[in-house]
Order: sequence, then structure tokens, then C-alpha cells
Amino acid sequence: MKKKTPILLTAVAALGMLSACSTGQGGQAQTGNNSSNGGKVTTIEFWAAPNPTQQAYWQELAKAYEATNDKVKINVSAIKESPTSEASIQSAIAAKSAPTISENINRGFAAQLSNSKALVPLDTLEGYDEIIQSRSMTKTIEPWKFADGHQYVLPIYSNPMLFGWRLDVLKELGYNEPPKTYSEVLEVTKKLKAKYGDKKFLWAKPDLADPTAWKRWFDFYMLYDAASNGNKFIEGDKFTGDEKAGTAVLTFVDNLRKENGLLSRQVTDPFENGTGIFTDVGPWTFTTWAAKYPNLKFNETFALSMPPVPDDVDPAQSKTFADTKGLVIYASSTKEQQQAALDFIKWVYSDAKNDAKWFEQTNLPPARDDLSTNDSFKVILDEKPQLKPYADNVPNAVPPMDNAKYNDLQTIIGEQAFNKVVKGEIAPTEGWAAMKAALEKALK
Amino acid sequence: MDQRNNKLGWLFTSPYLIYSLIFFFGPLIWSFFLSITDWDLIAPTFNFVGFANFMDALQDSSVHAAFWNTYKFMMIFVPLVIVLAIGVAVLVHGLHRFKSLFLIGFFLPYLSSGVVSALIVKGLLSYTSPVNVSLRSIGLDINWLGSPFSALCVVGAILAWKFTGYYALIITSGLESIDKEVYEAAAIDGVKDSQRFWRITLPLLYPSLYTTLILAFGVTFGIFTEVYQLTGGGPGHATNTWQMEIFKQAFQNMQVGYASAVALLASVATFISIFVIRKILEIWGKRNGWV
Repeated sequence: MKKKTPILLTAVAALGMLSACSTGQGGQAQTGNNSSNGGKVTTIEFWAAPNPTQQAYWQELAKAYEATNDKVKINVSAIKESPTSEASIQSAIAAKSAPTISENINRGFAAQLSNSKALVPLDTLEGYDEIIQSRSMTKTIEPWKFADGHQYVLPIYSNPMLFGWRLDVLKELGYNEPPKTYSEVLEVTKKLKAKYGDKKFLWAKPDLADPTAWKRWFDFYMLYDAASNGNKFIEGDKFTGDEKAGTAVLTFVDNLRKENGLLSRQVTDPFENGTGIFTDVGPWTFTTWAAKYPNLKFNETFALSMPPVPDDVDPAQSKTFADTKGLVIYASSTKEQQQAALDFIKWVYSDAKNDAKWFEQTNLPPARDDLSTNDSFKVILDEKPQLKPYADNVPNAVPPMDNAKYNDLQTIIGEQAFNKVVKGEIAPTEGWAAMKAALEKALK
Repeated sequence: MDQRNNKLGWLFTSPYLIYSLIFFFGPLIWSFFLSITDWDLIAPTFNFVGFANFMDALQDSSVHAAFWNTYKFMMIFVPLVIVLAIGVAVLVHGLHRFKSLFLIGFFLPYLSSGVVSALIVKGLLSYTSPVNVSLRSIGLDINWLGSPFSALCVVGAILAWKFTGYYALIITSGLESIDKEVYEAAAIDGVKDSQRFWRITLPLLYPSLYTTLILAFGVTFGIFTEVYQLTGGGPGHATNTWQMEIFKQAFQNMQVGYASAVALLASVATFISIFVIRKILEIWGKRNGWV
């Protein structure tokens, strides 16, 4: 007994310390039901994207909804980024403290979560179809269907990634508009190099040589979607890449390298500073440019265009990558919370003005089919003409793959093909073959 | 009386024991459990996979890179930081005034955020930065973060900058503890000024140097922030580290079981390496008669 005393003492002290570490709030308790005021109030936790604009947007709507429905309480907070928002969500699910609903979820991450049965298939909830109808997003949501036939993410915005061109430099070179085909781009590159040598490059971006998975969305996928008419590169667990289009993309990049048109070294704001004259541009950029680079003016110093296409493809048919994120509902929440969350979303999207407010505040195009035809958005597009090309191309944008291994798979694209071609370490056809073999092995 | 002392001993050591139980042994056992599963911590079910995660990790080229890169960082970082720390310590030790002020100044980088310093260096090494423009004007066009060796050197140099002040502090305390009479006696015995450092200072500094060296070697097993911010482990896997690999597998690929296996392999590599380094340092000290 005497021997056990110190062990017991240590154990008691350990328990004491552990209980002191506890916040006293179980994850589910935070999102549970509360009957304190007589009627049954369902509390839902809403995690907004970690930026003040989006957090404020959802807080405002949550308050407005609570005013119309006293049976629901919505706590809006920002997703913590420690070290990334994905990691925070992952940790929260593991610690049983996941929210009821969150935004800022890309399709690849949603695939990882749905693969682990952490998400609710939204199409199984009552009222889902009404959201799709009332928000006019039947076409936009179609490519979002997952391989198992369900919809796990409701896209909030679908942002067709466009390429920006330094129009001022193009004009110096004798062009009034961006080139549209590979040959035209190569011609611009030759003229640019002849005039500026190593002071300017066509495409200056360190990410070109970086295998980090998500970086392929903003170079390889944009070009590939354009060259392949939006062909699904990987569908479910199968590699379905279009070899002709893929090889054409890699050959185009290789040709740019041969002309010394690529700069993949560390360089600060190359497009903004004029070191590069071509780069991917998302609508979130314009706010930064307005503050930091006021000289960049739409259709004066820069222009926007869909990705260039191979010479045998009609530029009018160009497709691009959809940088898009949406809402998911977590399976760890109760049925009441799940339904309450969907009802809130249904209320939000029953009025196009809420989407208009989103568009105005964030510059991110709502994922709707009627963005360029609905009057609610006309005023915004008239005020911000640089957003018009994005609104026009929402139907031409292809969302990312829905494979749970998307990180590994997209890293392979960079490591085996794209990055190597950029660095001149492999021929385009060999790069494509090596990438295809590695992808097929990883998909098994 | 002995029984009473025994209980008191347990009581006084209990904070450390509790700390170790909660923050060391608990996670270690949990990590081992995860490493033999295919669990991502999220899925409601998981499978036991035996040692498959370990076998996969041992055949993974990025794990191999993390293993070897640790020693490459050691080769760059340790000599650099030790030479700089000794230099700073000797300089500061020789000062008659403002000694503490200078030491605090050198210590400040240790307190700075790794993210901030990495971003500053990123800016300095930009293709269009004044540094690179000047170098190009004299025919030196260096792709700092784009070639494996220079990327390793850049990360090693940032770490050296960060840790120099901290290690200088330890070495300065070692220098302060050397009795001045030893130098006076040596001078009487005919030791020249040029021999003083090698014959007297360095041997008497051995205990401080030993600690500093062990700490410096240990740092190379935990490199993350600078690599994450500057190179992402590239080019290729040239700057990949154990911590980067664990992070990528656990938080990007959501393969927590596999990441745990990599973490355990990293622990074994760290433990063996530090053990060997310790032994080498002890033999070095004994051979020279410093211990």
C-alpha cells in the first residue's frame, strides 16, 4: 500500500493538471441544443474564412436570420489558421469540436473529408434542391457532383481564373490586345526578349518550379483546361487526362523556356513591377493593386483574358480552372443542427441581394448561372468592369478534382512533368509519360 | 525517516514526472498506436496495418531526402554558428562597457519570428532585389533558392544568424568563468598572446562548447519554419526536413498514421545521431585532456 501511495499521488496530481487544462467545453456541448428560454433553440457553429470581410459578411447575415427565426442561434467565428485552415478543421474534427458548418472548403479537401465520412451529403438534406433552384446554379453545380453521385459542397463562389497581360508592354511591342494562341504568345515572347533582354520575361513566377500541389491550379490546370476543352484530368480514381492537350501544354511551356521567356526564380510581385507581362490573376487581387499598385488600371496598363490555346483550338472555346470554395456541413453535428444550417443557407440564397452583397464586398463571383444577366449584379459589374470577364466565364470554369489524394496527385504533376519542363530537365512527351505512370500508380 | 524522505522525493519529482507522462510518454504511445494504423483521425473506422507505414516510409524518396538533408544542414549550420558564436562571445567578452547591451543585441534574432525573417530574406534574394541586380552587373547570376546547394546554404545561414546570439550568450558565460589568474600564470610561463586562445581559452571553454554543440546539432533535426516559408522543401527535395515531411503527410495529405511512422523514425534518427555526436565530443575532449 505504501508503495502505491506515491503513484496514486502522481496520478491524482496528473488528473488535476489535465482538468485544469480543460476549457470545460466539449465540442458537442458548444453546438448542442439549448432549451433555456422555453422553446427549443438550435445553436449552430459557423466557421467563416479567416479574413475580416467574409467573417463580417456571415456575421451580418447570421444576425439578420436570427431576427427572423428565434429558434436558431448562429455563432460565427473565423477558421483558425494554425498552421493552415485545413489543418485546423482536421484537428477540430479529430478533437470532436468541429463546427456545424464552414465555408472556405475547396473540392479536393472536401473529397478528403467526405472520404473519411466527415461531411453530410447536402443533397440528402431537405431543402437542398430549393437552394439550387432559387440561387439559379443548376449548370454551375453540375461539375461539382462527386464520384459517388452526391454533392458535399455548396460552392459560394466560382472564380474562373484569368490571365493578366501587361497591356502597356504589349502596346510597346505593337499589340493592342493579348495574344490568344500559343504561336501568338511565342511571337510576343520573341519580341519582348529582343527589346528587353533579361530585364523582362513573359511569365515570371517562382511557383512555376515549385511542386506544391495547389500551385498547379494556377498554371498547369489553367492551360490544360483551355487546351482540352475542360477535360477532367482525373475522374474518381481514374486518370483520364487528354494526352494531346497535355503534351501541347508542356510543349508550349518548353518553347517559352527555350525563348528565355520564363523566370521561375524568387521575384517580388513580378507582374506588378513589370518583370513579367503575363500571370494568373484572381479578382481578389484588385483590392491589393488599388492600394499598392494604383498604376495598374484595367484596359490601360493591364488586360484580362482566358488562357491561350493551342493553334488548332478555337480561342472562343477556351476553358479555365475554377478557383472555387464553398460550404460544407459536418457529419459530427446533430440532425437538428444539420437541418438548421441548411435552412440558414436556404434563407441566405433565397435572395440574390445577399449574393450581390458578397460580390461587392469580396470581388469573388457568386457561383450562379445568371451572374452576367441578373440585374442584381449589373450595378456592381458596371462599377467594376474588371470583374465582368470573370462573371462572363463562370460557366467556362472547371472545378478541381474530387480525389482525396489530390495533394499527392497534384504534387506528381509538378514533380514529374511541369516543374521539370520549366527547368528544362525533361522533354514534354517524356514528362507527360512519366507523370501519367506516376499518377496511375498513385491512383491504385 | 527513509520512508518519509521517499515520499517527499516523489512529491518533489512529481511535476516533472507528470509533465513527462502528459507531454512525452502519452504522445509517444499515441504516436506509436497511430503509426500502425491507416487512420486519419477523422474517419469513424480504421485498420491496423502492422509495420506497413514504416516500410513505406523507409522506401519513400522524400523521407530519404529528409534524413540526408538533416546531415547536410548540420555540415553547413553547425560550423558556421559555432564560429560566429565564439567570435561574438570573444568580442563581447573583451568589451569593458555595454557588454550586456551588445549581448542583448545579438540575442534579438533568436526572439524574432522565423516567418518574418524568412520573408525578409525572400525579398533580399528576389531576382529584382538590389543585391541580385548588383551581382548580375558584375556577372554573378545566382539562383539562390533554385539550386540545391545554395538553397541549403541560405537556410543554414538564416538559422546561424538566428542562433548565433543565443549560443554566444552560453559561450560568454563560459568565458566569464575562466579565472584571469590562469591567463596571468600562462603569461608568466611564456605562453604567447597568439597561443592563448588555442592553449587556454578553448580547453577551458570545452564544457560550454559541448553544450552549445549538442544544442546546435539538435536544431538541425527540428528545422521547419524557414524551410516552409522559403523553399517548401525544394528544389525537388533538396531542403526537405523531417518536420516538413511530417507536416506534409499529416496536414496536407491527411495520412496521420504514416506521418506518425515518419515522426517515430525521425525520433530514432535524432536519438542515435545525438548519442553518437555526444560520444564523439566526449572522446574529443578526453583525447585533448579537456575533461
